[in-house]
Amino acid sequence: MWRWLSEALAVAAKDLRTEFRTRVALNSLGLFALTVLAAVSYTVGPYRISAEDRPFLLAVLLWIIVFFAALAGLDRSFVKEEESHTAPLLRLAASPHAVWFGKLIYNLCLIYALMAILVPLYCILMGYKIVLLQSFVITLVLGGYTLAVVTTIIAAIIARAMTRGALFSVLSLPLLLPLMIFLIQGTTGASEGTTETVTNTVRAVLSMGGIMTIVSAVLFPVVWND
Amino acid sequence: MLSFRAMADGIRISFSDVAKRYDLRVIFKAVSGEAVAGEVLVITGSNGSGKSTLLSILCGLLRPTRGEVRHLQGDAEIAREAWRLHLGVVAPSMAVYEELDAMENLSFFARVRGLGPSEERCRKGLLAVGLDPDRRTLVRGYSTGMAQRLKIAQALLHDPAVLVLDEPGSNLDPAGKDWLEEHVRVVAAAGKTVLLATNDPREMEWGSRHVALAV
Repeated sequence: MWRWLSEALAVAAKDLRTEFRTRVALNSLGLFALTVLAAVSYTVGPYRISAEDRPFLLAVLLWIIVFFAALAGLDRSFVKEEESHTAPLLRLAASPHAVWFGKLIYNLCLIYALMAILVPLYCILMGYKIVLLQSFVITLVLGGYTLAVVTTIIAAIIARAMTRGALFSVLSLPLLLPLMIFLIQGTTGASEGTTETVTNTVRAVLSMGGIMTIVSAVLFPVVWND
Repeated sequence: MLSFRAMADGIRISFSDVAKRYDLRVIFKAVSGEAVAGEVLVITGSNGSGKSTLLSILCGLLRPTRGEVRHLQGDAEIAREAWRLHLGVVAPSMAVYEELDAMENLSFFARVRGLGPSEERCRKGLLAVGLDPDRRTLVRGYSTGMAQRLKIAQALLHDPAVLVLDEPGSNLDPAGKDWLEEHVRVVAAAGKTVLLATNDPREMEWGSRHVALAV
């Protein structure tokens, strides 16, 4: 168990180190998120939406930015290994589960770093008031986790395909759309102060994250080795 | 001279009627042979004959279209997960991480291979192939010869029972080629199994068994 975890942490540390040196994914994620945030805050701003619609519409805009920024950057984790021809050695050296978990940790670091910068900025620029702060943070954490799990396994699948760019969006959207709807509901609930909506969202996202984790852990060795 | 016991515990790769085809393009068909402990199996053939493809199949990285590959220790089949731990591979199609330096690369491979505290091992590995462990240049700044030396150090890091070399002398200077030849002979004499794909006449002489592929 400890050896497996140590291998996974080595994979994640290696990916983070190479990412900080090249900044390919960080630039994709960050530039997309900040550009869209700037465009949204300039065109919509805090006062062009009625107070009644604000909790829902601002939740929609927030998750659109997060999801599409993630789609722009998180597919790199496996594609980079295949394109730079490092995947075969990694395949020989590390156990498949360690690779999967290491890549998941790396994607989690990226998505949480993105959220840590983007969400406070978004709330300030858009005047987004959160009533249930703790529930809001839980929704963000669970949403980020499930988003990372889904994008990690899909990135592994598309890394071995020829038409990578198109395939990532095609495979991701059906899986991510229900998640996005749940997260928008939960975020709206946290903004309006309706605990029941947030609780239902947390349950749904937790289930989805759990199912996707198990499916990914089972599926990954097949995707990675064959 | 190896003892009977050491040879008996060594690893064999037995392959029969192995064929590979990509869509309608036949790479090779019905190739058979055996790589045994203590010997170097040399795979030869002109460009495009499928030497690297055959090596990948023998390593378990590719599935053959037809035929059977068996990885054996004594008479027992080696499980897939255990098999990769026995392998050390140097191939043009396999790269180390260009955004890391040599020491970082070896430390990473040591960690994912579960070799424990490994700094001393990595330093020795780099010194053995003539690289400076204290040099902090990223691999992307290396010459092709230095990168090849690092790939060899990576393959030898865990003292594998099976060494797979695909054109290992490419880009090496004469001193590097001499060292490699000496090392391959030492590894084979220690009862390890060595597979070598090459067209270099000098490297062909290292082998005691040969498999020739035709286009």
